[in-house]
Amino acid sequence: MEESDPDNLVDETRREDESAEQETESTEKRRSGGDPIEAAADGGVPEQKPDGVADEIENQFENIKETRRQRAFGWAALIGVIGFLTYQGLSATEFFDDDTDFTWGHFSTRMTEYFPTTRVADLGAISSLDGYYIWAIDGGAYWSFIKDMNLIYDPEVGSLIFQFPINLTDLYAFVFVELGIFSIFGEAGTTLAMGLVGTVLGFPLALLFSILATERVLPFPFNFIFRAIMSFIRAIPAIIWALIFVALVGLGATAATLAIGFNTIGNLGRLFVEDLEELEDGPIEAMETTGANKSQIVFFGMLSQVRTSFIAWTLYIFEINVRAAVTVGVIGAGGLGAIVAAQQSQLNYEEMMATLFVIFILILLVELFSQRLRARLRSDEERRSWQELIFGFPARMADSLRR
Amino acid sequence: MSKIVVDGLRKTYGDTVALENLSFEVEPGEFVIILGVSGSGKSTLLRCMCGLNEPTEGEIRINGKPMTAPRPEVAMIFQQHNIIGDMSAYSNALTGGINRTGLLSSIFQLQSKEEKRRALAALDTVGLLDEAEQKTRRMSGGQQQRVGIARALVQESEVLLADEPVASLDPGSAQDVMRYLQRASDERNLSTFISLHQVNIARKFGERFIGLHNGKKVFDGYREDLTVDAIDKIYGDIDTDGMFVNQESDSDSQPPTDQQQEATL
Repeated sequence: MEESDPDNLVDETRREDESAEQETESTEKRRSGGDPIEAAADGGVPEQKPDGVADEIENQFENIKETRRQRAFGWAALIGVIGFLTYQGLSATEFFDDDTDFTWGHFSTRMTEYFPTTRVADLGAISSLDGYYIWAIDGGAYWSFIKDMNLIYDPEVGSLIFQFPINLTDLYAFVFVELGIFSIFGEAGTTLAMGLVGTVLGFPLALLFSILATERVLPFPFNFIFRAIMSFIRAIPAIIWALIFVALVGLGATAATLAIGFNTIGNLGRLFVEDLEELEDGPIEAMETTGANKSQIVFFGMLSQVRTSFIAWTLYIFEINVRAAVTVGVIGAGGLGAIVAAQQSQLNYEEMMATLFVIFILILLVELFSQRLRARLRSDEERRSWQELIFGFPARMADSLRR
Repeated sequence: MSKIVVDGLRKTYGDTVALENLSFEVEPGEFVIILGVSGSGKSTLLRCMCGLNEPTEGEIRINGKPMTAPRPEVAMIFQQHNIIGDMSAYSNALTGGINRTGLLSSIFQLQSKEEKRRALAALDTVGLLDEAEQKTRRMSGGQQQRVGIARALVQESEVLLADEPVASLDPGSAQDVMRYLQRASDERNLSTFISLHQVNIARKFGERFIGLHNGKKVFDGYREDLTVDAIDKIYGDIDTDGMFVNQESDSDSQPPTDQQQEATL
């Protein structure tokens, strides 16, 4: 960019020379030669312009060129600074240390460990390409690990319901004794339950704190106490809270779930406060004039205005909490995260990747569910009843196929 | 029934004087319309009367007690109705009686049968009994305002205040809402105050009129006193001749619509 500057200067001087020359020539010749379109529009008869105009254009041209030059210099300087900082950062993150060895051989070996391959077809058998095969990622290897470790299905719990003929005692035991709604999904079920319970535990306190954090409910210095508490909770990541809870209740999914619930107070509470700040006065005043007491004003005047968006935010936080449940599990606190960590410590790369796929599917499903539900909440259309949703399905399906 | 005394009322917002030296008395059960252009102090007067705003000087006595905070015996209807859009007309009407129920019973609608019948009776008064279970968000502006009236009626107040209740409605719905207000006021013998800026609607429904101009009372009298001169005084420089004439032809020549007939039943 800086290189172009001398060129520009040369360009500029040449242009000045040209214009000086041209000023001696007749105006007509310059205009028709320099600007064919304008000349055509004028019908080939250019009109006389005051002499000052050319100078003004020249001045503006210079101005623009100067600002462009300054801007280019600014960008170049910025890129230089960022580059230098990145270089320092790479050093700080040990990119240049001898311990960090990167070779393509090492890299590709590891990649084949992550993604085990298998021969799916022998090209030698069907053609002259002897000794050549078609390779594919070995899904079977992943699947056997997923099955052995009960990542998505626990056969012990599952055997209670999947039997023929259906045994009502076992079915009862499944729901009310084994409490197997989540544990039937194995480790994925544990992770999902961690996210759900964390959200449910955190919600009431998030609601309470956010209400107390609004100035309408508590006067100025006091509402900030609750804002500060929520900020503090938010400032520390869930995984650190989990470490603290592990010391209190022992290593396991309980500590992780408590940590997620605690973190929810900070995150969800913050989103609630944001909504409560933008309430309309009208409904609150209306409740005041009916003689409602303070808690009734909060519920009917304030919360009624934000009910839909609160539900939507809670679903969003649930989505985030399931993801957090994976992260928090990595310290050994149960679910899919703990499996990833355990396999990593044993350098079982193939098994790690298998768990990762399960995590991917789980998060995808949770997001799909949460986003569909939120979109439904936000849309103003008449909600379908559950019966209509189920029994109307064939008709809707046919309708969408016809389009 | 309560007598209302406004005594030397003055209200300022910073340097702006909204109301100045305003005094009048209203006998129980009177139907009063407050007239004035925007910014004449109508809303401020009503907000002081229901206790949402406190007077700077002077006081408003209802039943002999000065209004310093909202009280259940004074109900208010707002221009933007301020009802809860996510709830049904019936649930909204129930919130009018909120001062007689606790928090949990109001949230879970565990009010007494009497209270629930009262809400339905109020919806009947404003002609919305059949729409009781409809979400108010899906209702028309006029219907929403009628839900607002029903809520005020459930409050079982003695005084009914309405701040520009028809300002954001089309002429047809505006007349409907006014008719229901009049009917509610008559049935329950409520002292009623309605602020309006449309002269024709005011003349059609009002008995007593109080005119405000720049925060001062410029007119206080009955229908027969509300002459062109009086209106000119209230509306100041604005040319009101047209409004005044239109009103006569409007109400006499037009045949009653279906809605109007239904309302008079």
